[in-house]
Amino acid sequence: MKSMRQSAGFVILLILTAAAGCAKPPSDAIEAAEQAVKNAREKGANVYVPEEYAKLEGKLTALKQELAEQEGKFAPFQDYGKVEELATSTAQEAAMVASAASQKKEEAKAAALQAQQVAQEAVTSVHDLLARAPVGKDRAAIESIKSDIEALTAALTQIQGSIDREDYQAAQAQAKAIDEKSRAISAEIQDAMAKVKAGKRSLK
Amino acid sequence: MRWRRSRRENVPSNEINMKLINFQRSSFLPVASVPISLLIWFSVISCTPTVPSDLIAAIEDIDYRLITIGAPRLAPDAYTAFAAQWAALKVRMQTDDDLIRWPWEANHIEDELRQLLAHGDTTLARVQAEQAALRRTAETAIAKLDERLSALSSQVSSWGSHLVLGKELTHTDLLLKQARLFFQQRDYARSLDITARAVETLDVQTATLTRDLQRYADARQIARWQTMARQTVEWSRIHHAPAIIVNKVDRELLLYENGKMTSSYPVRLGYNGLKAKLVQGDGATPEGRYHITAMKGERDTPFYRALLLDYPNAEDQRRFLAARRAGTIPQTASIGGHIEIHGMDSTEASQTLGCIMLNNQHIQTVFSRVTIGTPVTIVGALTKHNPVTVALTGLQQRRDAS
Repeated sequence: MKSMRQSAGFVILLILTAAAGCAKPPSDAIEAAEQAVKNAREKGANVYVPEEYAKLEGKLTALKQELAEQEGKFAPFQDYGKVEELATSTAQEAAMVASAASQKKEEAKAAALQAQQVAQEAVTSVHDLLARAPVGKDRAAIESIKSDIEALTAALTQIQGSIDREDYQAAQAQAKAIDEKSRAISAEIQDAMAKVKAGKRSLK
Repeated sequence: MRWRRSRRENVPSNEINMKLINFQRSSFLPVASVPISLLIWFSVISCTPTVPSDLIAAIEDIDYRLITIGAPRLAPDAYTAFAAQWAALKVRMQTDDDLIRWPWEANHIEDELRQLLAHGDTTLARVQAEQAALRRTAETAIAKLDERLSALSSQVSSWGSHLVLGKELTHTDLLLKQARLFFQQRDYARSLDITARAVETLDVQTATLTRDLQRYADARQIARWQTMARQTVEWSRIHHAPAIIVNKVDRELLLYENGKMTSSYPVRLGYNGLKAKLVQGDGATPEGRYHITAMKGERDTPFYRALLLDYPNAEDQRRFLAARRAGTIPQTASIGGHIEIHGMDSTEASQTLGCIMLNNQHIQTVFSRVTIGTPVTIVGALTKHNPVTVALTGLQQRRDAS
């Protein structure tokens, strides 16, 4: 009888050991999922596709919760099937999100470059307009406008700085502001030029 | 207790029922029909959805609304927590879908989904409230910045002191425009960030302006100007001759005859008129005691009539050389000259390069009363409570209020 009990106990122990040995967390899949989410962030997903990225992060968190839950169970009852499934789908989604982010980023870059060009043209146009203004024009206004144009020219370099930092949203905002201001100054010059009739020689 | 159900067995429930009923009819005694019926009933119960579909739809709706208001961007932590729970429960629902549940078993997942729905509602309300608050803050900040910038620009423009601040006003204006653009894009945090930067630049500009124009509030400087003016009037009284005093801050030319003020005329000054002239091209109008050295008729000036002054005088030259020695002006800078009191040319400029400009009718009157050698004293201000100090106080108050 004692021998039977011992045998049964041994068998149960063997089964438990075997079961415990089989249920291991899918470390590679989890690591791949984490890396894929990190990669998506590096591609700018949190900026260019924030909704998808937030869902992705949510999924990764759910994966970790499920992993923690399974790890908290007694070994024979651990089941990492869902963890693996989640890890695989997270990695797949992360790849798609990264791709979407890259595409959006390229679109934003193209838009920023176009806005930069428009701003540059607007500043050049103001420069040209000021150069055509007669010497005798209201000097005070000209000096004031020159100062404005210097500020606009300096601001153009900021657009490039933002593009270099891959902050395309800032670059677009800067370019649009410069364009708007340049147009206002152009209108001011044209208005002032309309009043001009004669020049003035002066040393002052 | 729950049993895992094979997906291959996931056939329509009425088909199962029919098979079981046929089996019942053919093989079992009537006495066995009760437990079999119960089994059928249990199987039907177990095949009904574990979670009401309207609950799922409600959560999906909350998720959609959270995304629509920009929760992933505005409240990433809160949204990620919601999304994580939602993702975890989706996994659980999928797992539970594979299980056969006894009718008396509690449905925890439904409870958790209801909790998630409540959490989503709370998050939505919180994000909406936070967004509304952020929007109001950004809107107020932009409005205050706009008001301060407009006040400063208008003040600077009325003083003709645009170049005191140089490019800085334009820089602030560009920042304001960017803040507006981000506000329109509902990126209130970034809008606020840019507004704060613009406010900083505006503070620096207000300080610069205060520093440059502080002498208009300096009691000792005002006293010096008052003395200069008094001495000029005294000279006029003693010599029974005309004399001119130009008060820059009031934009006024006062004509004295025999020590009495006989008339006053509005004037326009240099484009940096409130500054004391130091070098050629600074757009400032000089301050000091001068004399008329030449009187130009219509044929000799494009400005109808002109009274040439003896700028630079000895004091101007001393200041200029001291500034050059101190390196505060370029070594190649020139002191300038050719400062006149004159009429208007055809351009009707609002400001001059440093001269004092009257309208043609007024210059004609002044021209007829003065002679070569008439003293012309140009001062910044004659009272401490002048428009510059009042405006500077206003700008500082706006800065403090913001």
